This record gives sequence, C-alpha cells and structure tokens, in this order.
Amino acid sequence: MNTQIIAQMVVSGALMGLVYALIAYGFQLTYATSKSINFGQGELVMLSAFFSLTLLNFGAPYWLMIIGGLLFGAALGLVVERAAVRLALQQKSEGWILLSIILGLLGFSAAENIWGRDDRPFPTPISADALHVFGINITPLEISVAIGVFAVMGLVELFKRKTLLGKAFEAVSADRDAAELMGISATRTIMLSYGLSGMVAAMAGILIAPITTVGPTMASALILKAFAVAVVAGLDSGFGVVLIGIFLGALESLTSFYVGSGWREAPGLILLILALALRPNGVFGKAAIVKV
Amino acid sequence: MKKMLLASLLLGAFAQTALAADVVKIALTGPFSGGSAPMGTSMRDGAKLAISEINLAGGIKVGSKKMKIEIIERDDEGKNERGALIAQELASMDDLSGVIGTVNTGIALSGDKHLQEKGITKIITPAAGSASMTQWSKAGVKDLSIFRFAAHDGIQSAMVVEHAINQKFNKVAILHDATNYGVSGRDDLLTQIKKQGNKIEVVATEKFNIGDKDMTAQLLRAKAGGAQAILIWGIGPELAAVSNGMAKNAMKIPLVGGWTLSMSNYIDNAGKNGDGALMPQTFIEEAITPRTKSFIEGYHKAYNVTRIPSPVSAAQGYDAVYIFAAAVEQAQSGNTGKIKLALEDLKKPVQGVITTWQHPFSKWDPANVETHEAFRRSDTVMGMISDGHVVFANQADRARLIKNATK
Repeated sequence: MNTQIIAQMVVSGALMGLVYALIAYGFQLTYATSKSINFGQGELVMLSAFFSLTLLNFGAPYWLMIIGGLLFGAALGLVVERAAVRLALQQKSEGWILLSIILGLLGFSAAENIWGRDDRPFPTPISADALHVFGINITPLEISVAIGVFAVMGLVELFKRKTLLGKAFEAVSADRDAAELMGISATRTIMLSYGLSGMVAAMAGILIAPITTVGPTMASALILKAFAVAVVAGLDSGFGVVLIGIFLGALESLTSFYVGSGWREAPGLILLILALALRPNGVFGKAAIVKV
Repeated sequence: MKKMLLASLLLGAFAQTALAADVVKIALTGPFSGGSAPMGTSMRDGAKLAISEINLAGGIKVGSKKMKIEIIERDDEGKNERGALIAQELASMDDLSGVIGTVNTGIALSGDKHLQEKGITKIITPAAGSASMTQWSKAGVKDLSIFRFAAHDGIQSAMVVEHAINQKFNKVAILHDATNYGVSGRDDLLTQIKKQGNKIEVVATEKFNIGDKDMTAQLLRAKAGGAQAILIWGIGPELAAVSNGMAKNAMKIPLVGGWTLSMSNYIDNAGKNGDGALMPQTFIEEAITPRTKSFIEGYHKAYNVTRIPSPVSAAQGYDAVYIFAAAVEQAQSGNTGKIKLALEDLKKPVQGVITTWQHPFSKWDPANVETHEAFRRSDTVMGMISDGHVVFANQADRARLIKNATK
C-alpha cells in the first residue's frame, strides 16, 4: 500500500511537473536568443486556452482548435516581442521586464472583460476515466499531457537542429554579434523565438485546460512554478527543465502528502533559493565566461 | 428658451429629491464574478425578482402612500478587502434602508463591522459560516443590526455528521479549503462529531487552497487512513477538483459537505463524478407547491435559464426581500434603525418560497446567536446531485414540505 501511494504521488506530481517544464521551456526559447523573457507568459497560456475554448464553442473540430490555438499563441508571442521587447533591446535597457508584465496585465484584463471571471470546463475527446497500471491510477488525459509536452519540445528541438532557420536560431543564441556578421538578422531570429515561445505557451494552455478548467487565473500558480523550474534548471539548459520539472512536481506531491497539504508550495521556493545561492546559472546551466 | 430649460431642469432636480423620500434604498452585495459567482448572482437575481414583484404592485405600503424599492448593486468579487471597502461605502450613505447579501464568510468578518457601527440593518444571505454571527456574540455586542437568513454551518455540520452516523461510518476524512468559510466549517464538523457522541474517527484533516486543481495528496491521505466517507467544506471549483480526483483514484466513497456542493460550477465541472454528492439545502429546484412553481418559473423566465445557478441562494434572496419589506411596512418607515426593531419582532407571518416565516428573528441576545438567525434545522433538507440537478435525497422531506404547504 505504502509504496503504491508513493508511486501514485510521484506519477501525479511528475505529470504536473511536465507542464511546468513546458512553460519553462517557453522562457528558455526567448532567453536563448535575446537574453530576455516574457513575464506575461502565464497570460499567453491563459489567453490561448480561452481562444481555443472559443473555437471549440464555435464548433471547430478538435484538430483545428489545436492549430488555431497554436497560431494564436504564436501571434501573441510576436505582439509581445514587437510591443515590449524590441525597443528595449535596441536601447540596451531592461525595460522589457516592466513592459512584458504590463502586457500580461493588459491581457488579464482583456480576458476578464471578454470571457468573464468564471472558470469554465474545457471539453476534450480524451477520456478522464482512470486506467490502472501497476496499481497506479492514471488517466488517458494525463498521458496526453505527457505526450503533448514531449512532442512539442521534440519538434522545436528538431526544428532548431535540422532547418536553416533553426540553425540561425542556434547561431544567434551562441553569439549574437558573430551571427549578425554572418548575415543572420538577429531581430528576425528574436521574433522567431518569441513566436515559438508563444506557441509553446499555447500548447501548455490547451494541454492543461481540461484538467484545470479555463479561467483568467488558471496560469497564475503554474507560471510561478515554471519560473522556478526554469531558473533552477538554468535558463539555457535545454532538456534540463524536463528533469527539474518532473522532480519539482513529484517533490510537491510528496511534500503535501507527508508534511501536509498546506506546505505544498514550499519545496519549489526553497529549491529556487538554494539554486540561486549555490548555482546561479542553474543545475544544468552553463557557467558564464567572464571576460576581463 | 435657455431660461426655460434651466427652470425645467431645476424643477426636475426638485422632483427627483421629492421622489427620493418615497423610495426604500436597499443595497445588494455579493460576488457577481469569480468562483462564488453562482451564489452571488442567484441571490441577487432572486432578490431582484421579489423587488420587481413588490414594485409592480406599487411598492410597500407606508401610511397613505406606497414606497418603491430602489436597488444599489455592489460586486465584492468574493474578496475580503473589496467587501470591506464596499461596506465602508454603504455605511457612509445616510439614506440607506438596509443591505441584503454577502456570500463569503470572510467578507462578513471584514465588512460588517462598518455597518454595525452605523447601525445599518443588514440581512446576511447566503453566507453560512458560523463566524459571521458568532463574532458578535464573542464581542458581547449588546445591540446588533446584523441578521442572518441562511442555514448556518452549525445546522449544516450537524446534518452532515448525523448523516455519517446514520450510515454507520466509523472513519471519515475532513477536507476543507483555506478560507474563513472552510476553516470554520472544519471546526464546526469537529465540534459536531464530539457533540454527537464521538462515534466517528477522523482519519485525516486536509486543507486545499482556492485554485488548487490537483487533490491527489489530500485524497490519498484520506484513502490511506481508510476513510469511509469524505466530509467537505469548500466552494464549487475546488469541490469539483476533489470529485474528479476521487474518480481518478478510484475512490468510490460518499462525498458529503456544506450546501456549496449544490453550486452550478461544482455540478458542471465535476460532471458525472458529482453524482450522489450530498449537502444540506434550504430550497430544492423542484415545483412541489404552487408557490415554488411560480418562483422557479418566474426566475427561469426573467433570466432566461433552465436551471438556477444556485437555487438555495436565489430562494433565500427572494424571501429575504419579502421579510425586509414586511419590516418596512411594520416600521412604517424606510429608516434603517426602525426597520431593525421591526425585524426583531415581526408581527405578521411572511409568505416566502422556502416556508411561511413566523417571527423569524427576535431581540438580539449575545448569549444566543439564534435570536438573529432565521433558519432552524426543520427548514433544512438533504439534497443530492443527480444527473446535473439537485434533488431531494430523502423523499420523506419532500412529502413533509408538500404537507406543510397545504396545511
């Protein structure tokens, strides 16, 4: 019984952790090219989920909803890049921090006004009835989340490695100035990274919505954890976020089981403090080379 | 021409003030958005239905004229701090006759003191947390202008524990949210278990936060303890997360809890996993008497719905307005202090949709909160979720209510 409970807690937690990882991956994409992240990423997750729900309500088939939702997310990502990031980067200022927060708040208010403040169920063709695997209860819905997370991350990584555009992306990530000297437009590449990041956020929203329901605050708790995962893993750690995400999710579950449900949020925050103190570049991050 | 216009405008302004004396201003407050919204909007809409009926009939008879009711609406979003701000605003209005509303116990705790200070009469409905009235008895307040029109958690927790004992459960788990409502509900349950003979062992007491979706840890602790039922105090969205989590973890044990299990956002988000959940109700959306029939049809028609989001809130809001109106008529005034005195000693029975109210309140006694509580155990029945609707869990209750109405 006891090992079964532990296994169940670890699996349930790890699945939530994968969603943290996916959102954290969205942070990484933009950080790689521009050394900036979108602090309103949670609102992108939420807005895309709302948009996808609206598509479904208009009678769109499930596959079309996913495509529509992803395109919407990518478009929002581009808006963030144009409105919040580009100018700040040109001026070499940190203005993108405040601007992206403000855009997020705008998105939040917009969602409240357009869709209301209520949580709504998100219909899905995937069953939420539990399957029993080695004594562990797991729903096809949860499995679909895991598959979705790996599929999106895998596709983006393939794109980065196998296509010309993707190679440009990698080049700008490695050395922006050198890449520009080679004729790669850094501005375009940063746009691309924000588009991809928005798409990843949309995917996270669509995957998690059937479980969390859709509402303006659906991502506010998620985003904090995702940020912790991104920082603990390292903002340039690639698949490191997956490991840390799974670890954090499982740790949260176990903590709330063994220590008490009121302590659920604690391990993520402690982990974040420890990581910042001991490994500021993240567990899987590359140590920065300091030029003197 | 300009002068004429000015004169007529001035005249209009005077006419307005003259008219103002002939209206009874009632504020309706509650969460009209957010997780508690089904309760808030249903309460508001039920109250408005009663108000429009009264106004259509000309108003409340005071002396030789009839006073119409004017509504002031405030959305507290279910947030304590907003509730406190609204209470301050209302307390500063000197022509306010009274306040009806408040869904969240925390808001009653943070806001009602401002109304009490100014002696503004308020009928709390449908907030059920015990603390919203016991705060006054604990403080030893001598003269109270706050009344409650809801089956308080003392009654509800007694019914829930009673049910668990009747079903011969030995072990239960208590789950509750971290709000004032959830915590005071947990305390009420524990008190009732003790009071009813300590026949039940509580194997787990678990907390969850507003917005939590993954209840696996809490549920597994209940399961590991061998709980035969889950007693729960929370609001719609999180209650649904618990039901869905129970289905996922193959926990086929009964879920019994506060009346919030009848909220539409619980029923919708839990879907078939919500079937069988039990909760105390003061009103079931079933046309068992001519009065309930006309109320339910009136509500459906006025707001273009086929199901009241929270029938209990709607019926309580509706009856609270009629009781308030009866007090205005007895006081022969829109003065809030006089209305309070009339409420404490209502002479005429008030025909409501829940029951016929005979002397619902009496003079406040800090040693006995029941003096300002309208509901008793007998006004409350067990409801059960069945196929997306709340029905009578007990056919005997249904028969009793029909019998009472025809008496």
